[in-house]
Amino acid sequence: MTRRALWMLAAGALVCTYTLSAAPQTSAAPEWLVTRADEGRSGGQLVVIERAEPRTLNPVIAVDAPSKDVIARTTADLIHFDRETQQPQPALARSWTASPDGRHFTLSLRRGIRFSDGEPFDADDVLFSFRVYQDEKVGSPQRDQLIVGEKPMAVRKIDEYTVQVDLAEPYAVGERLFDSLAMLPRHLLDRPYTEGRLPQLWGLGTAPQAIAGLGPFRLREHVVGQRMVLERNPFYWKTDRAGHHLPYLDRVVFTFVPSEDAQAVRFQSGDADVTTRLSAANFDVLFRDRGGRNYDLLDLGPGLDYTFLFFNQNSLAADAPAPVARARAWFRQLAFRQAVSLAIDREAIVRLVYKGRAVPLWGHVPPGNKLWVNRTLAKPPRSVEQARARLRMAGFSWNAAGMLMDRDGQPVAFTIVTNTGNTERNQIATIIQDDLRQLGIAVNVAALELRALLDRLLNTHDYEACVLGLGGSDGDPSNEMNVWLSSGGTHLWNPGQPQPGTAWEAEIDTLMRRQLVIRDMQERKRLYDRVQALVAENLPIISLVSPNVLVGVTKGLGNLRPTIFDHHALWNVEELFWRGRPSGAAR
Amino acid sequence: MPAVRYLCLRIGHGLLVLLGVSLLSFLLAAAAPGTFADELRLDPRVSPETIATLQARYGANRPVAEQYVLWLRSIGRGEFGFSVIYNGPVGPLLWPRVRNTLLLTVPATVFAWLIAVPIGAWAAAGRGGWLDRSTTAVTTALAGIPEIVLGVGLLFIAVRTGYFPTGGMTSLDFDDLAPWQKMRDVVSHFFLPVAALALISLPVLVRHVRASLGEVLRAPFIQAARAAGVPERRLLFRHALRVGANPLISLAGLSAAGLLSASLVIETIMSWPGLGPLMLDAVLARDLHVVVAAATCSTVLLIAGNLCADGLLYLADPRIRIGRFS
Repeated sequence: MTRRALWMLAAGALVCTYTLSAAPQTSAAPEWLVTRADEGRSGGQLVVIERAEPRTLNPVIAVDAPSKDVIARTTADLIHFDRETQQPQPALARSWTASPDGRHFTLSLRRGIRFSDGEPFDADDVLFSFRVYQDEKVGSPQRDQLIVGEKPMAVRKIDEYTVQVDLAEPYAVGERLFDSLAMLPRHLLDRPYTEGRLPQLWGLGTAPQAIAGLGPFRLREHVVGQRMVLERNPFYWKTDRAGHHLPYLDRVVFTFVPSEDAQAVRFQSGDADVTTRLSAANFDVLFRDRGGRNYDLLDLGPGLDYTFLFFNQNSLAADAPAPVARARAWFRQLAFRQAVSLAIDREAIVRLVYKGRAVPLWGHVPPGNKLWVNRTLAKPPRSVEQARARLRMAGFSWNAAGMLMDRDGQPVAFTIVTNTGNTERNQIATIIQDDLRQLGIAVNVAALELRALLDRLLNTHDYEACVLGLGGSDGDPSNEMNVWLSSGGTHLWNPGQPQPGTAWEAEIDTLMRRQLVIRDMQERKRLYDRVQALVAENLPIISLVSPNVLVGVTKGLGNLRPTIFDHHALWNVEELFWRGRPSGAAR
Repeated sequence: MPAVRYLCLRIGHGLLVLLGVSLLSFLLAAAAPGTFADELRLDPRVSPETIATLQARYGANRPVAEQYVLWLRSIGRGEFGFSVIYNGPVGPLLWPRVRNTLLLTVPATVFAWLIAVPIGAWAAAGRGGWLDRSTTAVTTALAGIPEIVLGVGLLFIAVRTGYFPTGGMTSLDFDDLAPWQKMRDVVSHFFLPVAALALISLPVLVRHVRASLGEVLRAPFIQAARAAGVPERRLLFRHALRVGANPLISLAGLSAAGLLSASLVIETIMSWPGLGPLMLDAVLARDLHVVVAAATCSTVLLIAGNLCADGLLYLADPRIRIGRFS
């Protein structure tokens, strides 16, 4: 009864906002979004370095980072998370109301706006987009995010510019569901969708005219293996305070440079304006070599990625060989994991691997994630003596040669695997090898190609310890359900458990499920703080470092406000402009 | 028609090699652990069910033999397989890149030979002299430099001097250029990668030219010609080179293999849009059909190079024309 009353209230509020905003609409003028950014000047191009060629321009099936980088510039979402404030902002939805339990959202769409091919956008496009993303046959990787309480979201059209979205269960961050979900042009995609051709559409050979989106830029040209050129979308729906249409830039060029060193060289020579994801080593070289060159190097501080060490704690088959069973028994002892954590010199990792451009971690949420980090976690300093004491109490001993022996008198030795192609992780594993030698543990380091590594971690469980990193996206715990739920597929140390194997895993399960359904931010934070404390106490993963986000940008770019969240320097690309001179790299 | 028979035999051999290479690379690529969908598994927002659906859709779970037959069949349609990463047929991905790779390797081959033959010949003529010794020293040093170091070193020079672009194949404003400017643009872009490739293949070629001519120069007929007063340069390039050409032509065919593999490295370092970066990416992403198609393509180029060499040998060596081939 109360819920019903609240719902009526929300509907009433909606009617109010609706009638208020309906007044100017009668003139049928397009409802532009006016940004708060500095007024800039039009023209010029921005050359952005991309690690690889995008594989598709289809927002429904794109999974790789380069494709997503380009697609984020050519499409738009209903509600957008501001990459500076971590708060939801109006985008294609001019305004919205949420019911107090967070199950029902009513979105008012911006009127009179058009896709990049000039066709109008309305509620039917929204309905179509949701149908496509949620269709099992299409197989969009974003489908899982749109399933709340094991049921897809129900999307209804109320009128041409209003849609209502209903969730099966209360959801903490309902607005977040709309972020980065690109709205699709029904007039172009409806037929291919009904014919089942949609996943194959908008591949790399597609003519620019056949693609349309609501983003600030649209495809102009793709030069195989070299670059993708985007041009200004004349129909974009944002203006600056003076009423000038955004974006300011005429073109954005993504140029593909496969190797990290070549990327630094390309940037240094002035052939590119923006490079993100710089390694600390290359950042250092570019910094030292700056001379009179025309670029700025920005250290944005610790990002959202966290690098950690974890041990294989999967349950074993009954006929597992004795050495494997013995190793598994060490890894399952909290004292063993605590000793390892105490013996690792995190400061040395920061100093040697990242040249100081990283922060040491004792919990899995890095300090870059200001909204969620638990600042009360203990940060025990490195202490080989304490580590030895823990091991001694747990029944380990040392032989004459100083090698660590377990209860049965067997030497303690294991292999740390990590992926090739990530120099930092390999160096970290080597430092850990050296640190643990001081405990009398013999550690091997083996680098495996990424997919071979994942096969071992998640399918065959044939490994002992691993150094890996996770993170990215926007730092909200709702994104990490599969990592922390004991049934999750990315619950790395022991994935896909039918029942939580330990009491603390059971508690984390409860906490994570709870934080997902309440809308009170402070309460959610309290719950997630407890998760962080449980992880830090029980050390299923031993958090090591969070690298800083390092960005290089040509001087003179106005409105540049790079963030540690994804898209870094480009999240507000529509507002960027060249001060003083008309264009960027490679005039 | 011995010439036709000779050619048919060679082409038949080539086709057999192609089939073997494609089968072998298919088996090896399929045996690598992990599948293309594994990249998604580290994204906690994607469920295992979605990944299983993806794998089933692209047949990643089917037996290898079945996948190979499917691939062979798609050749008939000109598709050369289906790329799970690019979500489309492999053929259109391949052709522009094959062209770009040829654009590097053919000039590199020509330059390397144009430099290697005179240097090798002079070194052979002045055996033990200062030219011979310095050539030996330089080629030995060059042969010892890894391809990757050479590539990065040249890039370094490009950044320091600013004379050359630091990678890619065309400038950003390529479309707005006049035809002759376009020519100049492409040439300035390919100068460094071609130089790198030529330098990589140079040492072997110089050594072979020197060895081959050195042997001929000791032959009695050269002594006789020299005694008859034939000038030294004419002796070297007209008479000796002709006789010593046989092993060099064979080498030309074989060196195509080394050049192709070197160009995979150089292309990746210099971001040249050839087969190299595509293949590397496909191997890492477990895009099976692209790996096999690219490997097969490289084999076709290699076999074509060898066929040319065989044709030249046929023209150059009368012993082959008489029919002592197999």
